[in-house]
Amino acid sequence: MRPALALAAFILAAAALAGAAQAQTAQEIIAATDKVRNPGEPFRSTDTLVEYVAGKERDRDAVVVFAKLDPKTGQFRNLVRYAEPPRDAGKMVLLDGRNLWFYDPASKASVRISPQQRLIGQASIADILSVNLAVDFAGTIVATETIQDAARQDKECWHLDMKASNDQATYNRVEFWIEHGTYYPIKAKFYSDSGRLLKILYYRGFAERLGGVRPTEAIIIDAVDTSLVTSLTFGDYRAQEIPEAWFQRDFLPRLGSQ
Amino acid sequence: MRWRALAPALLLLAAPAAAQENRDLDLIPNAVQAAPPPPAEDKPQTSDGGQRIYLENAASLASRRAMLVPLPPPATPDWEERLFLDMRKDWQLAPKLSLAYSGRLNFRAEDTLAFPSHENVRHDFRELYASWEPAERVWLDVGRINLKSGVAAGLNPTDFFKTRAVVEPLSADPAVLREDRLGAFMLRGQRLFEGGALTAAVAPKLDDPGPIYTNLNLPTLRPMFDRTNSHDRVLLKASADLGADVNPELLYYREGSASRFGANLTRSVGQKTVLYGEWAGGRQSSLIDQALAYGRETGTIPGFAPSVLPESTHQGFQNQLALGASYTTESKVTFNLEYHYSEAAFSPQDWRNWFRVGEANTGRPPITSALWYIRNYALDQQQKLSRHETFLRADWNDAFVPHLEITGFVSTDLHDGSSLVQMTADYDLSNQWSVGALAAGALGAKRSSNGSLPQSGSLLLKLERFF
Repeated sequence: MRPALALAAFILAAAALAGAAQAQTAQEIIAATDKVRNPGEPFRSTDTLVEYVAGKERDRDAVVVFAKLDPKTGQFRNLVRYAEPPRDAGKMVLLDGRNLWFYDPASKASVRISPQQRLIGQASIADILSVNLAVDFAGTIVATETIQDAARQDKECWHLDMKASNDQATYNRVEFWIEHGTYYPIKAKFYSDSGRLLKILYYRGFAERLGGVRPTEAIIIDAVDTSLVTSLTFGDYRAQEIPEAWFQRDFLPRLGSQ
Repeated sequence: MRWRALAPALLLLAAPAAAQENRDLDLIPNAVQAAPPPPAEDKPQTSDGGQRIYLENAASLASRRAMLVPLPPPATPDWEERLFLDMRKDWQLAPKLSLAYSGRLNFRAEDTLAFPSHENVRHDFRELYASWEPAERVWLDVGRINLKSGVAAGLNPTDFFKTRAVVEPLSADPAVLREDRLGAFMLRGQRLFEGGALTAAVAPKLDDPGPIYTNLNLPTLRPMFDRTNSHDRVLLKASADLGADVNPELLYYREGSASRFGANLTRSVGQKTVLYGEWAGGRQSSLIDQALAYGRETGTIPGFAPSVLPESTHQGFQNQLALGASYTTESKVTFNLEYHYSEAAFSPQDWRNWFRVGEANTGRPPITSALWYIRNYALDQQQKLSRHETFLRADWNDAFVPHLEITGFVSTDLHDGSSLVQMTADYDLSNQWSVGALAAGALGAKRSSNGSLPQSGSLLLKLERFF
């Protein structure tokens, strides 16, 4: 091959590759990884949270989560039932856009909560929720980086910087690392309104669940007190029909029997 | 040319950034790194959340103050020791049929209580009811049910079934007061729609109204239907999602021949704030008239005795209102600030009358007893004594250290500036054990609503074991 032809071929190939990369916008990448994290049908899962303090297990919580996509907003609505620890058993939370309610069977009281209250707790409600990040965040591609995943394996990732695009977003800013090709979520960093790094999260344990390969575990590092680490395991995925009427506060006392 | 020159530079910049990111992995403890991946058949062994059982020991001390208007016997205890087993459990009897029980078995001792006596052992029978879902999203419940309404934190005008239901509270925090209250025997039906709900409850009269209980005459096992089912009562509730975050709840309540209406409204503002309002109104007499009439009806106040305070047979439309907002900070503190208005409660003139009559009759127990009866009646009914109050509550999760929750509130009478203040600290030692302390005080001048209370302060220590 002549040098001129080789050069032309190289330029064409580079242009094609560049075009392909350009076609993959940050929002498309976020939407693709949303599909990896979240099943495409209404479902329930039982999530187990194990909290470690200075490397030692301290607490074990479990919640049952019911999630269903709202076709009007493209965002998930969630119902959460606490199963463990014993002191919190039976508490319920409704998370439907701005309509957030907490129900305590001890007092029989339903209390409306603010989006900020989703963040209370070391592994907060915000970490348990099924969320389509592409709906709540606008992202930009910072770079392509090779970082290590939770198993210390090198992964070539898109490094995305995501800013909240509405006031229902749980966090103000998220940095996300998403693996090229698979769209597997590898790592995320969550920031507060004031720009403070709150949590670092690693995904691992990718396995077949409800029609797709999804992460079955997230490791959450408290960035404010790094001696606190929580393992969040997404288990017992089951497809389940969830009636629209469930997403209101009057249903919360009935969720326990479902 | 420029690209070729930049590429190595970009790689050099990205490599340290990636190395920096990889250092975050060092924060993951070995115990987590080494944990096995979830199994393919990942069914966690967890409870279904259908029960909460715990054992609590609470010991409290109280300090008394000199009083302008002496309190008739029995005296409030100086110390109290409570050990109780609290249980709430649901049983799924069939796919659409369940049974729920909630109660508390108390062992108690205090300086004003004989020991041993049947008063040392008590059972609070809060709930026992069956639930049946005969059709999709239609439920029928029958039995003793604790039916709570309202959206405010410090006062719930629409919580019509709260009257006389709270038994021996260990805390004055309205959020805790709701935890050990008796349900009413009722038939309740509920239908949920997409974006709305209808609820109807009928609680029949099962017993005659009884005198207000003191700490010395609480029954051991009797379910005290005289507290919860002494009148025929009906409650209708409807809520609807009208869009744009407008989801009001409207209530109609009928007790005997008197009707009341109510409404609840909430709205989320931004990330951190929730606004809420709660209103109830209906024709009724003033708190003083209600109390004296109830005292005569139940024989506590002799029917022939003259009124200790000016009475009126007039019944007007009386409003009760709670307006408030909650605000949550990034440091996990949630504040609730509320204004409370109770039209039937004491006016400034009523307070002046109460102290004038009391101070002029300190040696005449029938009169001071009747005066204190009015205040006990308000407490028993879970009603406010003063017309205008503010309520500020703060709840701090993970305060200073993880698993420490500090809660405090100040309830202030806007007429005289006196306050009820309480601070609670609860620390979860583990998933099973918790310890806690509570300090409370009634602050104010001697001629103020809170400064005239018999207890100036109290301290409580508790230990809980969850099962």
